[in-house]
Amino acid sequence: MSVPIGGGLGLTNIEGHTDFDIVWPWNQGPLRRGATAVLRVKNEAESMRFVLPPLLRACDHVLLVDNKSSDGTGEAAVAVAQAHGLAAKFTVKEYPFDVARAGAEHLAVPERSVHSLAYFYNWCFSHVRTRYSWKWDGDMVLTTEGEVSMADLCWQVGTVDAVIRFPRHGLYVESDTRAFLDLGLRNIEEWGFPMTPDFVYSKAPEWEIRTTPDEIRQFALPQGLVVELKYLDGDEFAHWTDPESFATSVRNRRKRREWLVFNALNNGEIPEGVTEINAPEGEHVIDYVTHTWLPRAPRPFVVDDPDHAKLHLRA
Amino acid sequence: MTAIDEMNPEGVPRKVLFVAGAGRSGTSTMAGIASKLGMHVPLPEVPADASNPRGFSEPQWAVDLHDRLLKEAGVQVSDARPGAWFETGRISTREPARIRVADWLEPHFDVHPELVVKDPRLSWFLGLWRVAAIRTGAKPVFVTMLRPPAEVVGSKQKYYANKLGSSHLAASWLNMLLHTERATRDEAGSARVFVRYEDLLTDWVKTTMHVGHTLELQSIIHTRSDLIREVHRFIDPSLRRVSSSLEDLALPPRLHELTGQTWEELNKLADPEGDVTEVHATLDELRDAYTDLYEEAEAISKSSVVAARIAGARAAADTEPPESTGLADKIPHDLRAKIPPSVRRGVRRALGRERAAEPSTGEQ
Repeated sequence: MSVPIGGGLGLTNIEGHTDFDIVWPWNQGPLRRGATAVLRVKNEAESMRFVLPPLLRACDHVLLVDNKSSDGTGEAAVAVAQAHGLAAKFTVKEYPFDVARAGAEHLAVPERSVHSLAYFYNWCFSHVRTRYSWKWDGDMVLTTEGEVSMADLCWQVGTVDAVIRFPRHGLYVESDTRAFLDLGLRNIEEWGFPMTPDFVYSKAPEWEIRTTPDEIRQFALPQGLVVELKYLDGDEFAHWTDPESFATSVRNRRKRREWLVFNALNNGEIPEGVTEINAPEGEHVIDYVTHTWLPRAPRPFVVDDPDHAKLHLRA
Repeated sequence: MTAIDEMNPEGVPRKVLFVAGAGRSGTSTMAGIASKLGMHVPLPEVPADASNPRGFSEPQWAVDLHDRLLKEAGVQVSDARPGAWFETGRISTREPARIRVADWLEPHFDVHPELVVKDPRLSWFLGLWRVAAIRTGAKPVFVTMLRPPAEVVGSKQKYYANKLGSSHLAASWLNMLLHTERATRDEAGSARVFVRYEDLLTDWVKTTMHVGHTLELQSIIHTRSDLIREVHRFIDPSLRRVSSSLEDLALPPRLHELTGQTWEELNKLADPEGDVTEVHATLDELRDAYTDLYEEAEAISKSSVVAARIAGARAAADTEPPESTGLADKIPHDLRAKIPPSVRRGVRRALGRERAAEPSTGEQ
């Protein structure tokens, strides 16, 4: 059974912003082989120098959609792509509407509003020109192993209807030389999707969800491929309505863990499952974790929660 | 007495040289030279035979692993399907496989910091090996051997008694080479080299030194004089025993054209400073064209696939073994179902009746 929302030419919004109507990519001409990573960002300038280089090397194209950043994220991103000689694989677009924060605010917004996360995501992905896509966040950094694994999948996936799940670990950055890696949470989410009418964005209770047909192939990549940056001196939960918004369901488990770890570290405590990492002199701790520490860490990772260990071995 | 020009392996960074390319393209010769000049092929090696009298320089463990993984992925060594790369790629992402390969690689660095891994099946699992190298703190570097497709096909037909026909073999050569090039492209410039088999046989010293310097392989750059003499005894230009032209294969016109163009472009990669963006772009077009051609042929020949499936099912039914009289069949089914799977596996193991297929651990 196909997904109704993906049928037709595209989507219009209830506000009547015709210049932000969506035409599905497959209705804009043939899509070429390969994969595009799509980042939706707001005030992530600081992370661009870590996030973009490995992602640009791994993917055929990277599309960054800036949603009203005030810290020059777009300019920082372009500068990074140019500095690495990868500007030809990079596109920046701007989305000028306020987008509802995850949780209660999102739930209250109609799916076809330009303020809806679902509409925003569909608009972003409508600019993809390849047959496969990766949803990516502006704070997700590939490790060396993650980069080569993703690079392979980008050309291998072809036209297969496969959904690929990527694991990630929270990396709580205290300074240029010290960070805390959370291996106590096994978090694997769906990040890779084919670009066809069956895989479009719709509304879920707390955030958006990508639709899938009845039968798909799905597999998960191993742990240790991606870290998600959390700056201990930053406001890491600004995209949520409030902390009560992630106390509502089992789907929010990851967010509750992040809240716990973030606050514990800021209070000088290291929660169980979290490892302190200090970089050698002259190397930024994020580079050290992604280039050396995680790639060389003995496998399988030691975890405290047996349920997490089982999940890990399945992956 | 130690020769004054002997390389001291201490302090040499870990490196793994992966020798890729289609079978019968000189991969054994390349790996053999690297090994004789001082790099280490993890032991035991596959023993020599009539098809390769001077040895394969293939670690037996790698060959066995690849055989198992190919079987699990449902992919043949000479598989012409572009979609087969996703199947082996998916298996290469599995954590147990990554752990197994990295754990196997690690102790070999105690023998020597520069290793050589070669197997005609290797291209299907380059991603898996690259990750294993990264996990063991080694730099993965790649040599892809190039030999005219007509000679590769001719050699396979001669030495492997291959009945699959030249069109299939030419298609599988295209699939292998176009995707091996793509799989190693990120290493272009510093960590991969394309080598013509002909160049290796004509002037192995020049060709191998180019490989050594580009990939910074200390064992090759600083090899000893006695090892150089040994390679001179090892190389035999008559190794290139099959010689034929593309016209001899009588391929369908589009396949002929694609094979010829691909060979021409791959050749450019072996030229000095030839591994450049313009050639990659043309190879991308050729890979797309080959995939289109294959998908078209697949769509046209659907009836043959269905007929083969029916014939296969009939053959399997005809050869089905008589009803088992084993111990398990004497236990009523409902009782058998109550025995936990781990206990059933243990009993099977104890009786030496383990099931061959490994459980899938990656796909959910």
